Amino acid sequence: MSALFDYHALAPELILAFTVMAVLAVDLMPVPKYYAAVTGLVGLFASIIPLLTLALCSELSFCSDNGARLLFGDSYVVDTFSLVLKGLFLVSAFISLLLAVGYVESDRYYQGEYYFLLLASVFGAVVMASSRDLISIFVGLELVSGPAFLLAGWRKGDARSNEAALKFFIVGVLSAAILLFGMSLIYGVTGELTFSGIRAATVGGELPAVFTLGVLFVLMGFAFKVSAVPFHFWTPDTYEGAPTPVTAYLSVGSKAAGFVGLLVICYSAFANMRDIWGPALWIIAVASMTLGNLIAVRQTNVIRLLGYSSIAQGGFMLAPFAVASMVEGVELEGALFATVTYLLFYAFMNLGAFGVVMAGMSKVKSAELSSWSGMAQYAPGLSMLVVIFFFALAGVPPLAGWFAKLVMFQAIISGAPNVWAVLLGVIAAVNAVVAFFYYAKVVKTVWMDSVPVEIPAAELGGSGLNPALALALGITAIATIVTGLFPGVLSFFGEATRTFASGF
Amino acid sequence: MIVNFWVTLGIKMALVLGVMLVGALVSIFGELKISAHMQSRIGPYFAGGRWGWAQPLADGLKFIQKEEIIPDTVDVRVFKLAPYVVLMGTMAIYVVIPFGPDMVAGNLDLGVFYVLAISSISTVGVLMAGWSSGNKYSLMGGLRAAAQLIAYELPLVLAVVGVVILAGTLSLNGIVEAQAQWQWFGVTPEWLNVIPPYLILQAVGFAIFLTASLAELSRTPFDMPIAESELVMGYLTEYSGLRFTMFFLGEYAGMVALAAIASTLFLGGYWLPFVSDDLLNFIGPVVLITKIALLVFLFIWMRWTFPRLREDQLQQLAWRILIPVALANIVVTAVLKVVF
Amino acid sequence: MGELVVFVIFAPLALVGALTMVAARNPVHSAMGLLMTLFSVAVFYVSNNGHFIAAVQVIVYAGAIMTLFLFVIMLIGVDSAQDNQEVLPNQRPIAVALGLALLGLVLAAGSQGWVPRGTGSPVNGTIENVSDELFGAWILPFEVTSLLLIIASVGTIALAQFRPRAIAGDEADESAVDGELV
Repeated sequence: MSALFDYHALAPELILAFTVMAVLAVDLMPVPKYYAAVTGLVGLFASIIPLLTLALCSELSFCSDNGARLLFGDSYVVDTFSLVLKGLFLVSAFISLLLAVGYVESDRYYQGEYYFLLLASVFGAVVMASSRDLISIFVGLELVSGPAFLLAGWRKGDARSNEAALKFFIVGVLSAAILLFGMSLIYGVTGELTFSGIRAATVGGELPAVFTLGVLFVLMGFAFKVSAVPFHFWTPDTYEGAPTPVTAYLSVGSKAAGFVGLLVICYSAFANMRDIWGPALWIIAVASMTLGNLIAVRQTNVIRLLGYSSIAQGGFMLAPFAVASMVEGVELEGALFATVTYLLFYAFMNLGAFGVVMAGMSKVKSAELSSWSGMAQYAPGLSMLVVIFFFALAGVPPLAGWFAKLVMFQAIISGAPNVWAVLLGVIAAVNAVVAFFYYAKVVKTVWMDSVPVEIPAAELGGSGLNPALALALGITAIATIVTGLFPGVLSFFGEATRTFASGF
Repeated sequence: MIVNFWVTLGIKMALVLGVMLVGALVSIFGELKISAHMQSRIGPYFAGGRWGWAQPLADGLKFIQKEEIIPDTVDVRVFKLAPYVVLMGTMAIYVVIPFGPDMVAGNLDLGVFYVLAISSISTVGVLMAGWSSGNKYSLMGGLRAAAQLIAYELPLVLAVVGVVILAGTLSLNGIVEAQAQWQWFGVTPEWLNVIPPYLILQAVGFAIFLTASLAELSRTPFDMPIAESELVMGYLTEYSGLRFTMFFLGEYAGMVALAAIASTLFLGGYWLPFVSDDLLNFIGPVVLITKIALLVFLFIWMRWTFPRLREDQLQQLAWRILIPVALANIVVTAVLKVVF
Repeated sequence: MGELVVFVIFAPLALVGALTMVAARNPVHSAMGLLMTLFSVAVFYVSNNGHFIAAVQVIVYAGAIMTLFLFVIMLIGVDSAQDNQEVLPNQRPIAVALGLALLGLVLAAGSQGWVPRGTGSPVNGTIENVSDELFGAWILPFEVTSLLLIIASVGTIALAQFRPRAIAGDEADESAVDGELV
């Protein structure tokens, strides 16, 4: 362990924290409000730089200390796993911010505060990626959700937004309480707060039943955060009611933070308890993908559809967890790799999909699928993006999603002799087909249906795209296509996290 | 051994109670007389023979004899409990006031913190009283009181932090000793500390502390919660008899308690130079009481000098002036502490 | 011995407070019950040498949070009788059944022993010990928590305060839309 305060290792967090404060300060100054957004973007960009230097440092010889950096008595670890996920959070925050700029500016929102809260939430996610003890990860998780509660209710005059925030808040608080209860049981049994300590304390020995209970409660707490069935009730309403850029962030940043917490806590703290969390997550994964997909089929609102789709996608990400109890060694690493890779691909696709929804809403002022019909006739470019992102989410080969699904199935099949793994694979395959149906339905509505008569022709194709939104759409579209053709670009980062599963 | 413990405890409790009651009664009398003279009146004159010294006692007896009226709309349990909560919060402060090196009922490690924590309980009592009375004036008074107490709790706490930084301890005895041993640039003789060093170094903190304690006590110029001209008597409106007496006593006991804390934190407490610790146990209380009396006089003086602040002015004073200044005070103190 | 006496006195109080909190019809009574529980817990901290944490418990919960609770309850002006109409049919029996099932599960698990082994030596919860830990090993969660507090205040103000659109450059029309629902 190096010095107590390793500034290099903490540089991304420090820069981000400084940015968060700077955004608030810029908001106070008598300058145009979008300066705050620019400050945030610059800060996000600046905090990616130390991530790269840290990543290089573990490769280069002249760097004094390479390898994982342990800070604060093993409770904060900067390794390749955390670096990759921090990168994911920062990049998705970058895109979320771009999505938000036009939206926040056009309506009566508190702009500076909006960016401040968004960045603070990202800061929490970044802290979570490195946290290796119960307290840090809980505080990080709260920092992710706290601003999200507020952002969900940002449209103050809109009753739906209020409902969204309230539901999200109450469920979030409940899940935090369950999580804390579980953590307290785990701490009570093992007497350890750090994950390495918990892992060491659980080797082989006979553990009392309350520990199992604690593990289950912790899983439940995180399941709320990743909106996995049966803890998903808040998701569609919150996604629909919250401002759309916030929904985009919730479905990617906040969800990814929940997954990171789950990954970290399952693969490190509960590495010896795979027999407990494997089957539990098997059930949750199957329920999420099945229920999410089946309900999504019946949705008539694009945002609700994406909400249920994100529940289903969450089920796909959870599937590799389920086989972790059946495999060892390289295949265990494969399970972790599958989830992380899925997260990386999903982030771009889903942000893009929400970007498209926002652009579509600026055209037709509605997120109802019926009013989107025939969009290709007056907005062909946008309709092309609909095809890209929704087919990518469905997993159609030349686009990004197929590789994510491939590694997910690979991971599931690696547990193949086991009947449960086979069953999971079959269910996932059926679900992938069902999912294709409703993604394709959106594409069909946009391209093949006729323009609804009640929309006056003059209003169609009205306002042009906001430049920030266009930039966000461009980035995500390019990322979706390029990573679909060359999946190695992103899966390289997934590979880098592999070793996390095999322990430290 | 166990018996000994209970006996000591009993004596300590009796002493705390006695000190509180006497302090409250004396300051009530002070208030009556001082306010009278400030208004060119004579004040109480007959009770007790000379100067009307027994007036507070007579008042107390009168209140005890009176019938206690509990109106119909009152939430009886909460209504009855409220005065006890208020009085308990105040009484608990007396436990840690050091009257001498050993003249303290309980020398806690975190004396100051304890005082701030326990005094916040009174707020709840005030709210209980205001709500349970089932009377709009009382409710308004309770709400105002709560808003005010929350707002001024912060500068009160923040003002203390400066002293704690300088002294390096939270114990009240420790803070007194730290003031006794203060050295200006490492050379000053001890006797110079008769001029309390923290009064000079923490003048800003002292001013904030006094202002905030006035507000915490809901005394003019911060008596919006019981503003007679608009709220009848605020959260006290429905109280009568013994329970009213408790609120009344609680207010003056609180004044003495906060004055004692202020004297200990900023004015050197019980300490005198050239006096051994043993002797200080006897002289200390006198010294402290003198300082308390000065501060109580100051409180009374302010009450009869300043007009009442409007509610919004009152909140602005706390949030826009006192808290930022207190924060700045902490920063400056901390920086100076590190530099020197 | 002393600890036992304290426990015997305050543990029932804490439970009674918690039950009052849940069962009371009147929100203010609920708040009072919660206050009693929190205060009793503070007493337990004291009896376990956690003076600092006890004081924090009192100042934060009793002082700040409960005051805020009461404040809000009074501002909203809840009537003593709450409307208990339920939208979902049979919600209550199902909730009770599930809750009892969970309780049974927890108790069944706990019957095998809650904390199997004492860990480490008891630490004296003095300020020095607490602050050494807080500003040493736990500095990061501590700072993150401070950010959490800033978020709470910023967000609360932004959500609670209605302000007209304030885009730089059109300050002029600010007064025109002042007070309008945003």
